[in-house]
Amino acid sequence: MSLLQEERKIILSNEYVDAFDFAEVAEFVKNASKDLFISNHFKTKNKMLVQPRGGFPTYKKQFALYEFFVEANVDVLPLTIDSNTRLNDYATAKKMLRLSEENDVDMLNGYPLVSHGYRTTRKMITHFNKPVSLRHGTPDARLLIETAIASGIFEIEGGPITYLLPYSKNFPLDKAFLYWKYVERVCANYSELNEPINRESFGPLTATLVPPCITIVIQLLEMMLSLEEGVKSFSVSFSQTGSMNQDIVMGAVIKKLAKHYAAEIDCSDAAIHLVYHQWMGAFPMNKDYAEQLINMSTVIASMVGADKIITKTREEASGIPTKEANAKTVANTQYTLRILNGLPNVVDEEEEEILTLEVKAIMEAVFNDSADTLWRKVFNSIKNGIIDVPFSPHIINHNEMITVRDAKKNIRIIKRGSVPIPDRCYEYEKAQCDLAKDTTSIVNDIVHDIGIMQ
Amino acid sequence: MKVITGVVGNDIHVVANRLIDLSLRARGFEVFNLGVNTYLEEFFDAAVETGAEVLLISSLNGEAEGWGREVKALKAKYKTLDDLIMMIGGNLVVGSGNAEDIVPRYKNYGFDLVCHQVDLNTGLDLLEVFIEDKKLQKSNK
Repeated sequence: MSLLQEERKIILSNEYVDAFDFAEVAEFVKNASKDLFISNHFKTKNKMLVQPRGGFPTYKKQFALYEFFVEANVDVLPLTIDSNTRLNDYATAKKMLRLSEENDVDMLNGYPLVSHGYRTTRKMITHFNKPVSLRHGTPDARLLIETAIASGIFEIEGGPITYLLPYSKNFPLDKAFLYWKYVERVCANYSELNEPINRESFGPLTATLVPPCITIVIQLLEMMLSLEEGVKSFSVSFSQTGSMNQDIVMGAVIKKLAKHYAAEIDCSDAAIHLVYHQWMGAFPMNKDYAEQLINMSTVIASMVGADKIITKTREEASGIPTKEANAKTVANTQYTLRILNGLPNVVDEEEEEILTLEVKAIMEAVFNDSADTLWRKVFNSIKNGIIDVPFSPHIINHNEMITVRDAKKNIRIIKRGSVPIPDRCYEYEKAQCDLAKDTTSIVNDIVHDIGIMQ
Repeated sequence: MKVITGVVGNDIHVVANRLIDLSLRARGFEVFNLGVNTYLEEFFDAAVETGAEVLLISSLNGEAEGWGREVKALKAKYKTLDDLIMMIGGNLVVGSGNAEDIVPRYKNYGFDLVCHQVDLNTGLDLLEVFIEDKKLQKSNK
């Protein structure tokens, strides 16, 4: 038995798992409907796929949510996992699920997939026969993704960097890399049985003034870590920056460089997709304004040429949205996409060149680390500040980089810290901003820049 | 002057924490930022370890109320913290509340300066005035 299979047996011999049947699950994946695989939809559909967010604790409520989404002509269904399951606290998740079922009050902020188990969940997934995307935020997702794939969920979001640096203060990053290596290998192995399992990275990160070069570098590195384990379908992603031009430039550069770096590791056979997140920062309280913002995000996603868009709702500012509000965004977004035709082709060569140089310089510095494997190089690069994510709460992150918005609302780096931004690019970034200000007014600007959509 | 800062309890509101850090440095303080998700013991331990004169706790998710009640008892266990300037700021209650009720309550918990939903720079101005006054009082003694 391989080491991986031994580890899988240990992970799945968990008191919260009801007798995992490896052979039956493999047989299920092998014969599963092609419609459940988002990788197949990417191949065959020539429209941008629309995917909302959403997860409720009970089977009944999740089922009802999916009915609303299907009614609204959804392309991809979400399954958002509750925070106890994300932190591997299955005991609490189980207890809260029971309370939610008995009292008709939601005691969890998502669907506790491990507590429901794959036999139950699979009934729902196969009933709707739509691709489902797993949304979580789990550093150790080994048990969760085994359960997900066994349920018929063939898209797994996340990654060792993007699910750790925005969410955790002190979960060990090196452990996260190893846990995600397991996830990649399990996804790669199942991909051989039918259509590929799609992996998706979480580009929004902290969604707070993250400069494009940092987002792209992390997307490319998680893509490479995934492809080198044998994953054949991968989505890089990012969220609306606040400047339409910057979004378009980012889209162009990330598409070009994803192909380039996949080829560098002889993985050109893998399909790479681009996912765009509607505005991930603070939303306006005014629900009509929120709808305007959502609509604008959809237009930008089209300009960017995204393969999938992940939607928000008019209730974003006030908490977990109702299924009605959630389905409404899906219908509205599909409408906007249908009537949005004849888009102009916008190219900003100078901005593309600057961004490409920045990304390549940081990637180069990561590869030049003396460690023997890619994940160790990436780990060291985060540890020594070559990769620095603004507003990450994690203790390993340097927090030396400072970013602000320029007059056109582009995110610019005014202090690079230890990130190897080439001098020419650094001068260009700073030249777009008013640097004569003192720190107090810069802090006030940052507060304003974070909340630009409110 | 040395300042310890951080976000108390299971609260991960990192944006305010980073901005407090930046602003304190801009005003010439030496900052020891413990980050988000910090427990009271860690704040006091850090104050002893660094010899800081100011402790600035921030809180946004309403957890401060629970932790505030522990401050006096816990601080009394440390022998060298009697002169530590204690400041707390942010959104100090769950839901809505008014400053007239909240400020005296937190002063009673052992905080010298209480800023409920006060603008960051206004709060730091108050801190600087408080430090000056304290210096004057000392030299007058």
